Amino acid sequence: MKEERAVIRSLPSGVPGLDVVLGGGLPEYSFNLIAGGPGSGKTTLAHQIMFTNATVERPALYFTVLGEPTIKMLRYQRQFTFFNPDLAGSAIQFINLSAEVMDQDLGEVLKRIISEIERAKPGIVVVDSFRSIGGQHGSSERGATFDLDRFVQRLALHLTTWEVTSFLLGEYSEQEQRNPVFTVADGILWLSQATDRNSVVRRLQVIKTRGRAQMPGLHTIRITNAGLQIYPRIPEQTRKRALPKRERLSTGVPGMDEMLGGGVIAGDAVMLTGPAGSGKSTVATQFMVAGLAKGETGVIAVFEEYPEEYVARADARNSEVGRMIKAGKLEVIYLRPLDLSVDETLQAILEAVERVGAKRVVIDSLSGFEVALAPTFRADFRESLYRLVGALTASGVTVFTTAEVSEAFSEARFTTEKVSFITDEIIIQRYVEMEGELKRVMAVIKMRGSDHSHEFRLYDVSAKGVVVGDSLTEYDGIITGVPTLRAKPTRIKRST
Amino acid sequence: MNTSDRAKETPSGKQSPPREIARRLISSRSERKAGETPARGTAAACDTLYRELSRWVGPDGCHALFTRALADTRTEYPALAQIQLRARSEPYIDGVAETIMAHGDPATAEALESVLVRLVELLGRLIGDDMAVKLIERSLASSERGDAPPDDRREEA
Repeated sequence: MKEERAVIRSLPSGVPGLDVVLGGGLPEYSFNLIAGGPGSGKTTLAHQIMFTNATVERPALYFTVLGEPTIKMLRYQRQFTFFNPDLAGSAIQFINLSAEVMDQDLGEVLKRIISEIERAKPGIVVVDSFRSIGGQHGSSERGATFDLDRFVQRLALHLTTWEVTSFLLGEYSEQEQRNPVFTVADGILWLSQATDRNSVVRRLQVIKTRGRAQMPGLHTIRITNAGLQIYPRIPEQTRKRALPKRERLSTGVPGMDEMLGGGVIAGDAVMLTGPAGSGKSTVATQFMVAGLAKGETGVIAVFEEYPEEYVARADARNSEVGRMIKAGKLEVIYLRPLDLSVDETLQAILEAVERVGAKRVVIDSLSGFEVALAPTFRADFRESLYRLVGALTASGVTVFTTAEVSEAFSEARFTTEKVSFITDEIIIQRYVEMEGELKRVMAVIKMRGSDHSHEFRLYDVSAKGVVVGDSLTEYDGIITGVPTLRAKPTRIKRST
Repeated sequence: MNTSDRAKETPSGKQSPPREIARRLISSRSERKAGETPARGTAAACDTLYRELSRWVGPDGCHALFTRALADTRTEYPALAQIQLRARSEPYIDGVAETIMAHGDPATAEALESVLVRLVELLGRLIGDDMAVKLIERSLASSERGDAPPDDRREEA
C-alpha cells in the first residue's frame, strides 16, 4: 500500500534568516511559544510573522493581555518598515484581553479567544504576553496549576482545530521549562540578550520544532528599523571542497608568484602576515587587481578603515580599482561597526560574493575583524573563522586574508598563532636591519600540496605597489632581524 | 490632523478630518436611534467608541484616552464640568442629564463632540493618523453592524 503522509506546509516567517534556522519555515497550524527576557524582540518577531502572513480572508488576531499597553505597542511597532498600517483593522486585528485576565477567570479568557476566532477565522493568532495569563494563575497551589495545564491543553486543541498557526509570547527563565506550555508547544523559539562588558548581543535558539530538522545552536539577532534579522550560525562544512585543477592565480606582485611556485592555488585560503606598515593591504589589493585584470570579480571586506579611504589609496596605485567598482566587478564592503558576530560578517561577505559572482575575496584584516566582534564572540574566534573560511572556500572562492603580527625586532613571529591552522598558504613579511637601513623581507612558509620557495627575499613598497627583489642567500641570521653577510672564502695568494 | 481642531471648519470651509470622523460616529448612532436628542446621541457615540475601542486597546487604555480628551476639552467647554467617565460601565459617559439641564442640549452636544474630536486627534498623535482613523472606522463598522447593546441604559433627564 502506498504510504501517504500528511504534508505539513510551511509559512514564511518574514524574518530574514529564520526560515533557514527553522528547517524551512513555520509549520502550518503549529502551536508555538516565543520566550525570552524583556527587550529580546519577542513582540517584534510576532509582528513580522503577522504582517508577512495575514490577509483579509485569513487575518491575524493579536491578543494583548497585561504588560505593554496596546497603544504604546502600536506606536513603537509602526516605526518598523514591515508595519503596514493598511493591514491594521482588517488583516491584522488587535484584541485586548485584560478585562478577562483581571477577573482571574481562565474559562472566560478561553471563551473570549475562541469566540474571536470563530468570528474572524484567522490564520495566525498571537497571545502577548501569555506569561500574564500564566502569572495570574500559575501559583504553586495545585488547583491553580491544574487549571493552567487544562487551559493550555484546551487552547492548543482549539487553535489547531481551527487551523490556526499560533504564537504565545512570554517572559520565561530557563528554570521554568517545566511550565505546561513548554510540553504542549510544537515549537519553542528562545530569544536571549546577553551583556558582555560593554556589548550586548541578542541571540535566538530553536529549542523545539516538531517534525522539522532545525538548525541547532545560538543564532545572532540584529534588530534594525526593518525588524529582526537572524544570522544563522554557520554550519560546519560537511561537503567536500571541490578540488579544481589546482589552477594558479597570480598575486599581481612581481616576483611573488615565482616564490609561490607559479601563484596561489585557486580555492585556497591564503594568509599574509606582517607587522604594521609592511605592505599587507597593498599586496592584498594587488592580488585583487590581478584577478580583475583577468576578467574575474571580487569582494574586499575592510575592517580597519573607511572604504572611501581604502579605495582612494588603492586607486592611487591602480586606477583599475575605482573603475571596477563602478563597473560592478568589485565590491568593497565595510564591516567596521563593533559588536558584530561572525555570522553577520559571513552573511555580508557571502551576499556580496553572490551579488558580484566573486572568485576572489580579500579579508583585510583578521586583526581588525577580531576587534570588530562583540567580546562574546571573540572567545570563539578561531572556531568561527574556521567555519567562515570553510564556507567561502567550499564555494570555490579564493580567500586572501591579512593579519598583523606584533613582533619584537629580534624575534620573528610567523603568524598569529591562533588562526594559522585555517589557511592553506602562509606568506610572512618582516623588517630586518641591513647596512644601517630598515629593509623588508618576505618568505613563503606554508603551501599545502605544492613546492614553494624557501628563500627570504627583499621587497619594496613603491607608489605602484609591492615589488619583490633579490633573495638573501648571502646572508645568515635573517630570522633574528639582523642578518650578517656570510664571509666569502678568501683566497690566499701565495708568493712564488 | 496633528494640530488642534479648535475651529470646527478649516479655512476652506471643509471639516477637519477628526471632526469629520467624530460627526460620522455621532450620525451613525443618531440614524439608528431616531428621536434621540443631539446631546444624548453624542454621549451614546462616546459610549460606543469607548466600548469598541476597548476591544483593541483595552478598557484601561481607552479610559486613559477619554480622560485626557475630556480634561483638554473642559478648559474650553465649561459645560463639561459635570461629565464623568465611568470606566468599565455602561453607559460610560455619566452626568449627561445634569449637563443638559444646566447648559441645554445644543451646548452639551457641542462640548461632547469636541471631546470626540480631541480623542481622535490624540490617538492620531500617538499611533499615527492613518492607524487612528482605521481603528475608529473599525469601531464605527462594528457599531453600524449593531454590535452595540440593544438598549441605551442612560437615564432620562
